[in-house]
Amino acid sequence: MMLFLARRTATLGVSVLLASFLVFLIPYVTPGDPARKIIRSRVSGEVVDEATVQALTLQLGIGDPLWTQYLRWLGRFGSGDMGLSYTSRTPVVEQVLPALWITLSMVVATLGAAALVSVLLGTAAALQEGRLADKAITTVTQAFIAIPEYWLAPVLVLIFALKLSVLPSAGWAGPASAVLPVTVLALRPISHFTSAVREGVLDALSAEHVVAARSRGLGRRKTVLKHVLPNGLLPLTTLAAVWFAGLLGGSVIVEVIFAIPGMGRLLYDAVLNSDIPLAQGGVVVVVGLAVVLTTAADLVHRLLNPRMRAHHA
Amino acid sequence: MPEGLLIEQLRLSEGTPSTAPARTRADRSAPAPRTLLAGVDLTVAPGEFVALVGASGSGKTLTAMSALGLLPPNLRIDSGTIRLGGTDLRAAGEAELNRVRGGRIGMLFQQPKRMFNPRQTIISHLLEPLRLHAGLRGREARARAVDLLAEAGLSDPGHWARAYPHQLSGGMAQRAMLAVALAGQPELLLADEPTSALDKVLERQILELIDRQRRQRGLGILYITHDFATVSAFADRVVVMEAGQVKESGPAAAVLDAPQSECTRQLLASSALVPGPKPAPAASARTVLALEGVTKRFAAAKRGLRPALEQVSLTVLEGEILGVLGQSGSGKSTLARLAVGLESPDSGRITRPTGARQGPGGSAGTAVQLVFQEPHDAFDPRMRLCASLEAPLAQRGGLTTEERQNRIHRVLQEVELEPGLLDRYPGQCSGGQLQRLTIARALLLEPTVLICDEATSALDAVTQRKVLDLLLRLQRDHRMSLVMISHDMNVIRYASQRVAVLFEGALVELAATEDFFTDPQHPHSRQLVAASLPSRRAGTTGPQRLVPETQELLDALPPLPA
Repeated sequence: MMLFLARRTATLGVSVLLASFLVFLIPYVTPGDPARKIIRSRVSGEVVDEATVQALTLQLGIGDPLWTQYLRWLGRFGSGDMGLSYTSRTPVVEQVLPALWITLSMVVATLGAAALVSVLLGTAAALQEGRLADKAITTVTQAFIAIPEYWLAPVLVLIFALKLSVLPSAGWAGPASAVLPVTVLALRPISHFTSAVREGVLDALSAEHVVAARSRGLGRRKTVLKHVLPNGLLPLTTLAAVWFAGLLGGSVIVEVIFAIPGMGRLLYDAVLNSDIPLAQGGVVVVVGLAVVLTTAADLVHRLLNPRMRAHHA
Repeated sequence: MPEGLLIEQLRLSEGTPSTAPARTRADRSAPAPRTLLAGVDLTVAPGEFVALVGASGSGKTLTAMSALGLLPPNLRIDSGTIRLGGTDLRAAGEAELNRVRGGRIGMLFQQPKRMFNPRQTIISHLLEPLRLHAGLRGREARARAVDLLAEAGLSDPGHWARAYPHQLSGGMAQRAMLAVALAGQPELLLADEPTSALDKVLERQILELIDRQRRQRGLGILYITHDFATVSAFADRVVVMEAGQVKESGPAAAVLDAPQSECTRQLLASSALVPGPKPAPAASARTVLALEGVTKRFAAAKRGLRPALEQVSLTVLEGEILGVLGQSGSGKSTLARLAVGLESPDSGRITRPTGARQGPGGSAGTAVQLVFQEPHDAFDPRMRLCASLEAPLAQRGGLTTEERQNRIHRVLQEVELEPGLLDRYPGQCSGGQLQRLTIARALLLEPTVLICDEATSALDAVTQRKVLDLLLRLQRDHRMSLVMISHDMNVIRYASQRVAVLFEGALVELAATEDFFTDPQHPHSRQLVAASLPSRRAGTTGPQRLVPETQELLDALPPLPA
């Protein structure tokens, strides 16, 4: 287990470093003078005259070799200093953290709802394998993949916000405002989760130890709860983590349509306004979180499996 | 009111799915004939040991599962009676059946390790029947569970109770399963080939445990098996099945001495592996595989376990058949894995055949090939068999697609299989067919040495005989060296020219087969030979228990290898 942890931490570190290096390169590979771009992210006032630019270039070490610049940049990022946003002229950190909090709560709500619905639907489908209920569940949830968010979101807004006036159409304030965006975001994970749960439960049902449990006098429902679901739902943990990471950066459309000030919205605005420091901060935080989450899921998956636990004990 | 289990005119066929939830391997296998049981009659009185014998697919397991009401959902009982004491099991509701399962009927399975939930400890499996059928909870239940494990012959039961199923050896798992089956104090035990995958010594120990329950408290036993040695030593009555019908039934001695039906005679003939004359390997034969002072230890050696292999030196001669004997845990499989190169030794040297028979791309590893025990596990269930067979050839390279196809078809003919089988998935084949396919896959690479690790242990007697004869013929035709690894004395005696005995990781004896069976030298060899002797004496009435001297030898055995 220690060896596993060490190895995973190492790969985790390498992934984050690699991603951060690419992000660091943005001002150097985009059109324009990198020195001016960097100075703009470090100095709050507008700099116009050439002499100040040269002085600041020296002072900020922009002429240094790339890797020294990278290490310095990384050190600043690590300590939470992500520079100033071009547009708002306020520290990037102060924009990223609230946005991250909003997106995180939205993603957690989405995954929670999706997991709950999928466990119920997927288990029901598996227990009714081949019958009408199974076919209905499978067909409907598969169809969810095909529904585009940019179509569904306006349609739901039209019905529930504009016609029925039961839910707010935009913003992020309180549970009511979360219903529509979470519904739109949850459809595709529900589709994938349900089929994963269905497969997992079918697999677990066909295991020979399930018949053995029944031969001990365990009722059908107890057998499913105790011996089928714990084994059948395991694939869901990894899948949910992958989706967690994906939704963190993939909620752009929903956040833009529902005017939710989350990470997707932040990155969208940063790119539209060529706000390089804001984009850098947003991407590093999202990528870092995604990598950490995937590793955590791997770890949980391992802890849930006695066989793997033992191998590294 | 009649006591015990009574099955009358039981007819079973494939039909529309009923509400039965359990899916078993049966419904994944090839489409079976419509009628699966055609009027089966069977009784097991309290305290009676009834052996149910037949080839695979004869309906033995289905008969047992009918009594528990745990048939695969696509099967339906058409007519007949199943009663246990005063209870009509066919008419019983689900709640009543749940009281019977585990409470009045205990069940033992063939693959004990697969019958435990891999994510739960042994004791949690025991607590279920204790709570459901004995009304025990909490500390009381835990104490009883440990007692049951001890009664089932598990040393250090307190430790193993907390262990996970994968940490137990096959023999220990079957003992634990026996504890689970007996936890509800059932009046009837259904045992579905519980010892077929175990070695003879373990089998005897398990049978003795069951038999003690029979004598002490009148446990009725329905023992499904294909092994007549078991039948002769323990069974009161024998019921022989073929194709869903009872072909013969009667007292064990009568059936074995004077079988009435053709099918019984055939089963008896194939289970008696009479060794034929075997030429000793030529004195000038070249050594093709040599192990010198090989030692291999595994990390799990913490609980005082011995190394898997200790200083083993062994040579395999060109064209010879070497038998490797040993109990579970003696290091047989480690030896096989080392010889093939799946593991590397901690110390010592292994010389494999040089690639004389290989094409340019062949690595030394392909000259030694391995046939595994569990044919079902040896193929990727999601790959068609043609793809599984082609993979090793494609990987080795040097052949066109057409050449590969030709070679596969040629080898398939050699192992007496239809080419049509190649389009199937592993789940659609029988165990015997799959084992032929694993042999075919090994032959494709034209090995110099073929190692068979318990290759016939999972097969029924008739199929086992056919596969053994196939291996012997292939060995002659290809002038291969054959290493037969087995715990089955009869298989070793039948097939091999020399015998090597492994005991706790050490090579304790190496002798010509005839000499070994007539005059074993090492004490452990003597135990093995003694345990394999047929113990029934003709002409006695009633079941014959173990011959006294065999019993003494068994008692003198070391505790179970972990």
